[in-house]
Amino acid sequence: MSVAIQSERGAAHVRSERWAPALATLLALLLVAAAAEIVLDGAAGISPLIPKSPEIAGWLEGIGERLGYRVFLIALLVSTGAYAGLVVLAGRASIGRASVDRASVAGPHAGAISKRWAIVLIAALQLIVFVGPILLSTDVFSYIAYARMGVEHGLNPYLHGPVAIAGDPVSTYVGHDWERVATAYGPLYTLLSYPLVPLGVVGALWGMKLEALLASAGTLALVWRCARARGFDPVAAILVVGANPLYVIYGLGGAHNDLIMMLAMMAAVSLTVASTPSGRREAGAAAAVVAGALVKATVAVLLPFMIVSRRRLAPILGTLAALALGALIGYAAFGIHGIDVVAALNRDAAFVSTDSFATEIAHLFGKPGVFPIDHDLLKAGLVLILAHLLWRTWRGYDWVAASGWALLAISVTSTWLLAWYILWPLPLAVITRDRRLLAATLAVQALFVAHQLSPLLVPVQ
Amino acid sequence: MNDSPAIETALPAGEERWRRLPPWLRPRTVELRGSGQMWLIETTLLVLVGVLLATATVNDLVREAGINHRLIADLKTWRQYTGHDYHNISVDQEMLGASSQREVLCGNTSPGAPKSRTQICLAIWGPVVNGMRTVHGGWYVRAHVENDLPPNRYGCFGPAGQGRCPE
Repeated sequence: MSVAIQSERGAAHVRSERWAPALATLLALLLVAAAAEIVLDGAAGISPLIPKSPEIAGWLEGIGERLGYRVFLIALLVSTGAYAGLVVLAGRASIGRASVDRASVAGPHAGAISKRWAIVLIAALQLIVFVGPILLSTDVFSYIAYARMGVEHGLNPYLHGPVAIAGDPVSTYVGHDWERVATAYGPLYTLLSYPLVPLGVVGALWGMKLEALLASAGTLALVWRCARARGFDPVAAILVVGANPLYVIYGLGGAHNDLIMMLAMMAAVSLTVASTPSGRREAGAAAAVVAGALVKATVAVLLPFMIVSRRRLAPILGTLAALALGALIGYAAFGIHGIDVVAALNRDAAFVSTDSFATEIAHLFGKPGVFPIDHDLLKAGLVLILAHLLWRTWRGYDWVAASGWALLAISVTSTWLLAWYILWPLPLAVITRDRRLLAATLAVQALFVAHQLSPLLVPVQ
Repeated sequence: MNDSPAIETALPAGEERWRRLPPWLRPRTVELRGSGQMWLIETTLLVLVGVLLATATVNDLVREAGINHRLIADLKTWRQYTGHDYHNISVDQEMLGASSQREVLCGNTSPGAPKSRTQICLAIWGPVVNGMRTVHGGWYVRAHVENDLPPNRYGCFGPAGQGRCPE
């Protein structure tokens, strides 16, 4: 390499080093501004994007204007663009940090995104959404309704939909489509929600929001720990997860229990990343996955990969012990319906959402929607993918990455796709060496965002 | 995911029990570096799936934008035809065929809560011209009925209304 080229590259590095912190700050400000815009406008009153809710963000009223599709989608696009820029910068910064570690000389972008900077940004985003109204989903009111059915009305939420407590104060907030649907969540989650009932509907709503916030904080702490233990830059890892617009606006904004499931998932991974394998830790990891599955069943897909990868008795014993305990508690609290996960999964697998890729592909081929045969084809496809991943794991492929691919495959092949479903693989994707998983997860998320944009192209009056 | 070679190395400690399996079937703790053939196949499949999903998403986005464009024209047509600037107008996209791009729009004939007054329903289709489409007929629906079904209709008019009211 000639001296001229070297000095030219050096100058380019110095220029980008100068610009990177300023660019990172600008992108962070855009992310914060977009989140604030959505929350403040959401607090202003009736909006098609804000579910009917008891007044919990009244003190923010009057600052923003009613949240319409146009403003929301522009804010979402700004968030997504700023996030994409930050992901690129974080990737370059982590290369910079790696070069610091190797040569004790500052890399070109190491200073652009520091640990403190990343934590402050993530905390700001999460707190902005925490103090605001519930965004984009009525699910949290279903959670509260199921809890109130059990505690206040003595009804089994695994047998009845919220319509059974039609006079209850929460019933008016439950989504119309879910009024007759019994809970599909695990008994552990249902029991966790019971202590919130004495707080009333508003208190329970704050309780749910706090649970989601704490679960998110816990997930990010475990992402940090796992990234460090596996030799990745923890700053970039938490930034990719914690500043993700779908994670913040849809996941945390809707106080979804997927965040609690993800906390259990990351606890399981965290227990397996120790340098010296320990039977007790592996059993604990398997038990953590089972605990997560008793919140939301999807995470159970990690178990076969963990077991196949370890090929030891400990995770199997951990699974069986946790499963026996969970089944016992679930049966004691809710009877056989409380532990019949298969029935709940089968029922939910039949739902169809307009955002699912299955529906989009059906439209692409000129069909009006998804037919029963399509459900079977998608299930068969998913089984093939899982079998391939299991085989690769048996032959030494990273079980964490395989689990991430499995979760991504479940969401992509599901006919019922919601924004928070495509968050599942993200914490795993940032701690695996196979960068295709992160690229695929972010690409699927980008397609989901793109699919929301039709009201921007032709605004509905 | 790296490709695994045909030749196996020794099994990890404590895993001798797998020795009776043929080498290509034995478990491995770490993937071996192979020729990269499997990685290439997987990546190619991933790219193909990605292209399919991206095409389907863009197609759906354009399709939804087209539906919105049509619905805006339909709403404007209903308001112009009836002379009422009402906002609670229901749109049925399936009655005249799910992919026919023919819609039935129903709304009150006088101010009041939705369906609390006699409704007028218009069958609308054709290209959007000057922001509106053509009304091909319609019918009235009695007040306080939940659904626009033939027994609830009267006063059918135009070619689209033929045979849609009770005899």
